[in-house]
Amino acid sequence: MVRRPAPLTASLRARLPRPPRLPRLPRLPAALTTLPERFTSRLHDERVAAWLGIALGVCFLTAFCTGLVSHLMQNPPNWMTWPSRPVNLYRVTQGLHVMTGLAAVPLLLAKLWTVYPRLLQWPPARSAGHAIERALVFVLVGGSLFQLVTGVMNIDYWYAFRFFFTTAHYWTAYIIIGALLIHIANQWAKARRTVMTRPSDGLRRRTFLLTVFGASGVVVATTVGETVSPLARLAVLAPRRPGIGSQDLPVNKSAAASGVTALARDPRWRLTVTGRVRRELSLSLEQLQAMPMRTARLPIACVEGWSAEATWEGVRLRDLLAMAGADDDAGVRVESLERYGLYRTSQVRPPHWHDPLTLLALRVNGEPLDLDHGYPCRLIAPNRPGVMQTKWVGRLVVT
Amino acid sequence: MRAHGLVRAAAYAGGLALIGYGLSGIVADVPVGRWAAWFAGAAVLHDGVLVPAVLVAGAVTGWVPVAYRRVLRGALLVAACVSAVAIPLVLGYGRRPDVPSQLPLPYGRNLAIVLGAIGAVAVAVPAAQMLARRRRPRAAGGGAHRAAPPPDKGRGR
Repeated sequence: MVRRPAPLTASLRARLPRPPRLPRLPRLPAALTTLPERFTSRLHDERVAAWLGIALGVCFLTAFCTGLVSHLMQNPPNWMTWPSRPVNLYRVTQGLHVMTGLAAVPLLLAKLWTVYPRLLQWPPARSAGHAIERALVFVLVGGSLFQLVTGVMNIDYWYAFRFFFTTAHYWTAYIIIGALLIHIANQWAKARRTVMTRPSDGLRRRTFLLTVFGASGVVVATTVGETVSPLARLAVLAPRRPGIGSQDLPVNKSAAASGVTALARDPRWRLTVTGRVRRELSLSLEQLQAMPMRTARLPIACVEGWSAEATWEGVRLRDLLAMAGADDDAGVRVESLERYGLYRTSQVRPPHWHDPLTLLALRVNGEPLDLDHGYPCRLIAPNRPGVMQTKWVGRLVVT
Repeated sequence: MRAHGLVRAAAYAGGLALIGYGLSGIVADVPVGRWAAWFAGAAVLHDGVLVPAVLVAGAVTGWVPVAYRRVLRGALLVAACVSAVAIPLVLGYGRRPDVPSQLPLPYGRNLAIVLGAIGAVAVAVPAAQMLARRRRPRAAGGGAHRAAPPPDKGRGR
């Protein structure tokens, strides 16, 4: 006998334990009730589904964890303080987040194709428990497609959906991870058995799986250069390219869109340091330029997966706060000249402002900051989300 | 068996709690109707349009001679996945006049190049196989890797 994993095209009716209490289904023509058996490709089988499921599970769990990192860095609970090192922690986790998400697209499409005959099974449910299981599979499938579709649209700045992406993506992640946990518990024994048993039916599953993984590979290879700069020239299908932008650095929000052009160019601009300080400061651009200048090589790392390194010159934040006489354990709210916007201000906690790499930068890549990069002065710190590297800084409030 | 049942019950409890937590956040922070439309809409369009289209493509390529069918289907699979991910870039709705570094590349041309490369590989692979076969006319291989015929559909089970 040829040992082979169970096909997903076999009729389930034979396995029915005779469900007497289920509502009587209308009699349908056999053409409809035997649809799964009409699929001829033998790749619709448990072993293919199991391997694709394992690969997808790895991608989804990676994306979930790295997504949580970004959420917690942007909204840290009071008991949680992120370190300022390693410098590239945020950059690597968010690059991983977007790349695993992109790699999951071919995996998910292939997985759903593999199990598609199961969608058409008749009767739709064998029992109440089976109906619940299938409803939870719908949650997993809908949620997965939702996350990948809106996620890809979001990194490409296509906001066709009329809800705020970040919150929808965040909350939907919990829904699919919950549904995934249940799915794993339901499928564990079956998947384990089929993966551990080498089939001897000569079916070329490996060719199919390698083709699907190859598709993921091509998608990642043509994108990953947006964050791994040595591969930038390969990133022909990436929404960003390191090195393209004013002063060789991509821009996320322009001065014009933020409505700060006039304020940022105003010669009366002052940087004020206020709040819980011993001396309030009000410094002109010339006074800031006269302070000890430091250089730091730091990336702008975006939650959307791209990142780009630059050489920043400016004043150490800790020098400024020492001048103002802030307590060592104080926090700092960095305020932009922007009048509105979700990312108008950002919090800098002690590990970050004590870090010698954290600057209020005045220059980038050898030139005064471009207006779109935050002229006259912007925050730049290691291991920090791009949206919290506040531009067009006008005020530091020590809290 | 009982341990297995316990693990499964724990997974259901944890999973349902996570789903509930996520739903509570959606209800609190997101316009539920629009969210639900995208959530269910993605599944319905996938199951009702995308997969049937793939099945049609599978049926059409079924007419291609066996020797080329596999590589053709493989190339179509990779090309379709890359195109699906690249569509928003090619459409370019995310371009903004004030931020030229956003979507800075000619994506239509780039996608054509990538698809061309996939096509070139799809042509090169069977060509190389054919050359190799011609050089070693009676070497092992050929049909040896062909799948065994499918077993009886198992209607009796």
